[in-house]
Amino acid sequence: MEQAALEAATHDVSLWALFMQAGLIVKLVMVGLIGASVWTWAIVIDKYLNFAKARRQFDQFEQVFWSGQSLEELYRTLSDRQNNGLAAIFVAAMREWKKSFERGARSPIGLQMRIDRAMDVTMSREAESYEARLGSLATIGSAGPFIGLFGTVVGIMTSFQAIAGSQSTNLAVVAPGIAEALLATAIGLVAAIPAVMAYNKFTADAGKLSSRMEGFADEFSAILSRQIDEKLQPRQAAQ
Amino acid sequence: MKASLTTSAILHVTALAFALVSLGSPEPLDVANTETLPVDLVPIEEFTQIQQGDKNAPMTETAAPVPTTRPDIVENAQNVGDNKVDIKAPPMPTAKPSDNESAAAPPKQEKPAPVVDTKPTASTEVAKEDTAPPPQEVAALPQQKPDPTPPKPTPEPTPEPEAAAPEEAMPLPDNLPVPAAKPKPEPPKEQAKPAEKPPEKKPEPKAAEKPTDKKVADKKQEVAKTASSKESDFNADDIAALLNKQAPANGGAKRSTQTASLGGKTNTGGSKLSQSEMDALRGQIQNNWSYIAGIEGADGVVIRVQMKLDQSGAIVGDPEVSSSGGSDTARRTLESSARRAVLRSSPFKNLPADKYDAWGDVVVNFTPSDLL
Repeated sequence: MEQAALEAATHDVSLWALFMQAGLIVKLVMVGLIGASVWTWAIVIDKYLNFAKARRQFDQFEQVFWSGQSLEELYRTLSDRQNNGLAAIFVAAMREWKKSFERGARSPIGLQMRIDRAMDVTMSREAESYEARLGSLATIGSAGPFIGLFGTVVGIMTSFQAIAGSQSTNLAVVAPGIAEALLATAIGLVAAIPAVMAYNKFTADAGKLSSRMEGFADEFSAILSRQIDEKLQPRQAAQ
Repeated sequence: MKASLTTSAILHVTALAFALVSLGSPEPLDVANTETLPVDLVPIEEFTQIQQGDKNAPMTETAAPVPTTRPDIVENAQNVGDNKVDIKAPPMPTAKPSDNESAAAPPKQEKPAPVVDTKPTASTEVAKEDTAPPPQEVAALPQQKPDPTPPKPTPEPTPEPEAAAPEEAMPLPDNLPVPAAKPKPEPPKEQAKPAEKPPEKKPEPKAAEKPTDKKVADKKQEVAKTASSKESDFNADDIAALLNKQAPANGGAKRSTQTASLGGKTNTGGSKLSQSEMDALRGQIQNNWSYIAGIEGADGVVIRVQMKLDQSGAIVGDPEVSSSGGSDTARRTLESSARRAVLRSSPFKNLPADKYDAWGDVVVNFTPSDLL
């Protein structure tokens, strides 16, 4: 008790003291914003690692794909694994191709459409995984400053109430309350600024990856369409 | 995701810990504790135009200091006070007037002198003799004694050690508890006795012992006396008496008989124009005023002229003339004639140069109806 009274008397202005002096709402706001910051950086680290990994996988797969290796062989090695990105699209398309040919496809157009659908679904699923949690980054980035501002407003309100109570406009009475209130905005900005920057960067990265996937899907679709034509032509001629 | 979440949490904890340490508590702003200064706006006149007077006296028409009591007049005295000598220091209320200019001889100083003088001259002579060659006399006296007193040799050794004792005791006079008053008158008798008694052959050991004792006592006394007389020079009371009791606070030697007026201890330079000086200034303007008699409504017009003068008495800028009372036309006429009169009488003469502060920016009031 005495210790607290002494601290209050000397107006300790360290960060921790400011936090401890704050009211319940301001404290909640601060804790929430710190949590948001932790979440933001968790997403940032996760996305950064994921995107780097995805880019590496894309490069590797494209290298293998364009190396002239047989697609059947590639499919056989890849089909057992859990695939991401381009490999997943390739496997999905090849699976559809296989299924259709095993049962004996009637129409080349239908086959082409099915393969495209399968690739589209896989692609959208992959894209979704890339863009996952970017929304929360956007939310933190846009709402963080407002939440901090809310904490500040509440803190300043209480500090003004304290002024009204003590009936002293001395700066020493006003300053700690305002400093503690401004701490909320500061934490909000600390959480929001990296969130906004990371959101912009990762949406751009995700866009690049999906456009790369789309490009691959189109190319692969073209290759498969050629294959379909080549394989179905003799059959139709035989009939 | 878990790994990155923990990584992020760890990073945040580290950053917060660092922030708590490095941004822990900002250095307190060292602002000197300044007290609010009360500021009073006071007219400078209060300080530049203080006239000598009494702080508690009521304000009167003429400035006058506290009246003096001494009747005798000192020539060319400029500072008011009860002093014989003209001193600049203002008179202090507590100081009594005194005729003494020199250090007052304190009565205490006379006391130690009689103490020395009243002592029998013989004793002082003896003292001088004793103090100058002490061993010789002390040695001589016992030598005389053994001749008349052969039968009792026992007393001999006793005086000698006693006589030797004072020699040793000489440097330590403080230790000897000797009554200063009683033995003083005796020494002459005793001195005579030893001189007479030896030839009479009646020198009893007691008598022989007595003089030695007395002499010893004398020496002790003299030693004590000389010590005390030396000490008396440094008596604290005497020092106080030696100080100059002449009070410097009697002020000057100029006498004042007027009742005291409100004012400071001394004159501080500037002063207002005296009534006659003001009249002289007004007269110069009036002489140049061609007053048109018989203006209707001129009764009750009061004209106020404010003008700035330079050191030579010439008008600087335009004199400000305003008026009140009377009719409009009369006022306008009189204002313009007053302005002409003021401008014509520039430069003003006979203004006291040392009071320039008072007439540098002067206001003169006229009642034109009185000019006639």
